[in-house]
Amino acid sequence: MTDTVLTPASSASAASAPNVSRRRARFRHNLRRASIYLLAVVLSFWILLPIWLIVVMAFSTPDGVRAFPKPFFPSPVSTATLQFFINSEGILRSTLNSVIVAVLAVIISTALAVPAGYAIARFAFRGRDTVRLAILSVRAFPIVVLAVPLAVVFLRLGLFDQVYSLAMMHAALTLPTTILVVASVFMSLPYELEEAAQVFGCTRLQAFWRVVLPLAVPGIAASAVLTFVLSWNEVFAAILLTITNRTLPAQILYSLDKSSDPFKFAGGFFMLIPSMIFIFFIRRYLFNLWGQLNK
Amino acid sequence: MKTKYLPYLLLIPSLLYLILFFAYPMVESLQLAFRREGQFLVLRAEPSPDADATGTLELQTDVTVLDRQQLEETLANGRTRPIYWFQVEGVDAGGQTVQGWAIQTNLFIESRTESTTARVTGGQSTQEWTLDFVRRMLSDYRFGSALGTTLLLIILIVPLQFILAIIMALVLQAEIRGSSLFLYIFAIPLGISDLASGIVWYAIFTQRGFLNSFLVGSGLLQSPFIFIRAGNESWMILAIVIAEVWRATSIVMIIVVSGLQALPRDYVEAGQVFGANLWQRLRYIVLPLLAPSLQVALILRTILAFQVFAVVVAIAGREILTVLAYETYRWYDPQRYNNTNMAAVYAGFIMLLSLGISLFYLRAVRSQEEAAQAL
Repeated sequence: MTDTVLTPASSASAASAPNVSRRRARFRHNLRRASIYLLAVVLSFWILLPIWLIVVMAFSTPDGVRAFPKPFFPSPVSTATLQFFINSEGILRSTLNSVIVAVLAVIISTALAVPAGYAIARFAFRGRDTVRLAILSVRAFPIVVLAVPLAVVFLRLGLFDQVYSLAMMHAALTLPTTILVVASVFMSLPYELEEAAQVFGCTRLQAFWRVVLPLAVPGIAASAVLTFVLSWNEVFAAILLTITNRTLPAQILYSLDKSSDPFKFAGGFFMLIPSMIFIFFIRRYLFNLWGQLNK
Repeated sequence: MKTKYLPYLLLIPSLLYLILFFAYPMVESLQLAFRREGQFLVLRAEPSPDADATGTLELQTDVTVLDRQQLEETLANGRTRPIYWFQVEGVDAGGQTVQGWAIQTNLFIESRTESTTARVTGGQSTQEWTLDFVRRMLSDYRFGSALGTTLLLIILIVPLQFILAIIMALVLQAEIRGSSLFLYIFAIPLGISDLASGIVWYAIFTQRGFLNSFLVGSGLLQSPFIFIRAGNESWMILAIVIAEVWRATSIVMIIVVSGLQALPRDYVEAGQVFGANLWQRLRYIVLPLLAPSLQVALILRTILAFQVFAVVVAIAGREILTVLAYETYRWYDPQRYNNTNMAAVYAGFIMLLSLGISLFYLRAVRSQEEAAQAL
């Protein structure tokens, strides 16, 4: 962040001014700084307060969850609500399903995207722009539109209600973005490294495997995390494509209108936490990942 | 020579995968939405499968038996057995009374020699293109409210998200200390699912929730106000809008920030030198330069907003409010309507709206650029 769109009264005009007006400019400068800080803090509260409230609910006793008026701090702190949620029927199993689906989706989409991204980054070939455009245009394709026909096709092929068919669908949804991200990661690595490796006797494959790939791993890992989060959160395709092998969000959504508030709130917290942790780990790559949507 | 084909080889798996999961389902979707598979009994002019067709009857049609004829059927082992043809009369799908001969295997009849009524139980499979599913969607009593609610949500959510995202981006761009911490905080919702966000805001807006706890606790209200109930749709819409703005502003913020970073700073500095105030710099320099980024974000957010689903279910339940994506699920649900044709029509409608709005944005922004160039 090197730009200064908001910085007020440039120092050049203030420097030549007399002392009084410089002090006034300084005062105004500080006032503006303070108001920006205030705004930042208010916006942070807007994001964090609802998360804090669901944390309060998750760590209250079931009686505390039902209490009114609700406390804004858990009293007493208890894991009874979370335990009740985790021990509810189908939750452990669907959590396991969610993890399997997300891991499979990451593996499929990364395995396909690394060669494709490398091709887009390193080669000038006929149809490169067409391929890029095609990948760009399916990036924002509505899940709702794909899920219904895929469910019918899966049903016909006997793949319906399987965790791996849902994983394939999630991989397809993230593949376009993953290809573009991986391509940008490879583009950011100098080609000279590969050339040097080849000069020293590596084949092209060895140069890729030993020199380029290790350098690209952090960026690829970040996009894998993105895929994991998307798959972990995705609910529409999950509820359409599975019945007995539901993922966690599908299971929670399915039982939402039959479940008690402690179940809902603990479920909300349970779904929220992994995503928050993952976003923390990939925070350096946020612009590489989502900035890609811009190009 | 080898490198000539290498990029294609590297791309083929991904492209095949994308075709398999994007193009093929689209074709399938068209079939589901516009094609009806059915069984029809074709009536014949004579008691023979090769005779001219005189009409068709749908399965389960009740017919009257006018005449019958016993024929011999030759089996594979050379022996023969008696088989009946019946001359029947019934009303076809178009309401016309039709008459003709049908073989006994396609009819349910109590006594081959005496019954005067029968029911059609078999026939040949046919496929035909039809707009019936589309008509049924348009005349469905929930269609209007689903479309209305979805559009209302988009009109309310998208502008709010953009205003908030631009404010967040400008705060981050001001280079205050700790801005990387603020960036992380503003980006947290990127990882939050619509379902989780719906549950979080349900905890706030529900009758015994945090908002009522605050209002009653601080003495502003005597007793809790029930925000979420039938007849209180505007409060439910508001809760959904807040939940969506809370969750999905981050993605717009990230796009705007990366757009701002690519902005040539000379332009803004020139504006400062010429004495433009903050609003003027924003309105006449920053926002026009950001137009391409905003366009991308706008298309993305609107397409996603057409799919709003889990937030609505989590906050408003399944009955009081409905949106297009939920109708798709309702028709699909094997435990309820189990009608994939209708689900495909709804999905196709969402697709059409998404496509239309994207083209509209592309045109609108381009014509603005052209207008700017003409000036």
